[in-house]
Amino acid sequence: MSDKYPGAPRWAKLTGVIALAMLVLLIVLLVAGIGGPHGPGRHLPGARDTGAAAPREVPAPSK
Amino acid sequence: MMMGPRLRKLALTTHVVCSVGFVGAVAAFLVLAAVGLTGDDMRTVAAAYIAMELTTWSLIVPLSFAALVTGLVQSLGTPWGLVRHYWVLTKLVLTVFTTIILLLQTSGIGYMAALARTAAAPAPELRGLRSSLVMHAAGGLVVLLMITALSTFKPRGLTRYGWRRLREHKLPPRA
Repeated sequence: MSDKYPGAPRWAKLTGVIALAMLVLLIVLLVAGIGGPHGPGRHLPGARDTGAAAPREVPAPSK
Repeated sequence: MMMGPRLRKLALTTHVVCSVGFVGAVAAFLVLAAVGLTGDDMRTVAAAYIAMELTTWSLIVPLSFAALVTGLVQSLGTPWGLVRHYWVLTKLVLTVFTTIILLLQTSGIGYMAALARTAAAPAPELRGLRSSLVMHAAGGLVVLLMITALSTFKPRGLTRYGWRRLREHKLPPRA
């Protein structure tokens, strides 16, 4: 067995590059504000552009 | 601590059941989310969101943690190890990532279920949230299928740590 580590396999390197690219893209989108803030509460009424968490109270049904 | 053959098979069976159950539960959730987004009958739509919340807390969240824990037991109790092979490490990272995203989605799911119990129809401005639930469920399902494929194909590749451990076992003991 060789003394030198043979390095990561190609599939692992490719997966790492894709994951890193997606992370960088997400950070760029968040920093640039493209598409608005991203978070679990972004679509909820009352959260507006803050990306805040969901409100505890549900609005009363309209009659 | 290495597990014996019987215990190892029992642990593997438990892990497979939890993991495949997790995939199935997310697939069912995706169907309900799609009905919630595109359904015409408001009672069906409301029922879908209530069922989504029940499915999330009674199946998806418990199965995600069970898959994670049984996976940790399976890797630490066998020669595969947790950080020796890239496929095991990748599975761990993807499972943790999926579980975090799932927990972040629970507030939106709970909100839609609460609204479905009180209102006759989901408000039009909630279309973004309804679409988001479909997108995240679809994305989660794709990641879970990738994890399943990794488990069956087990692509080769040792991490630096795994390679060092293997080398230590193969070399004769030093005097």
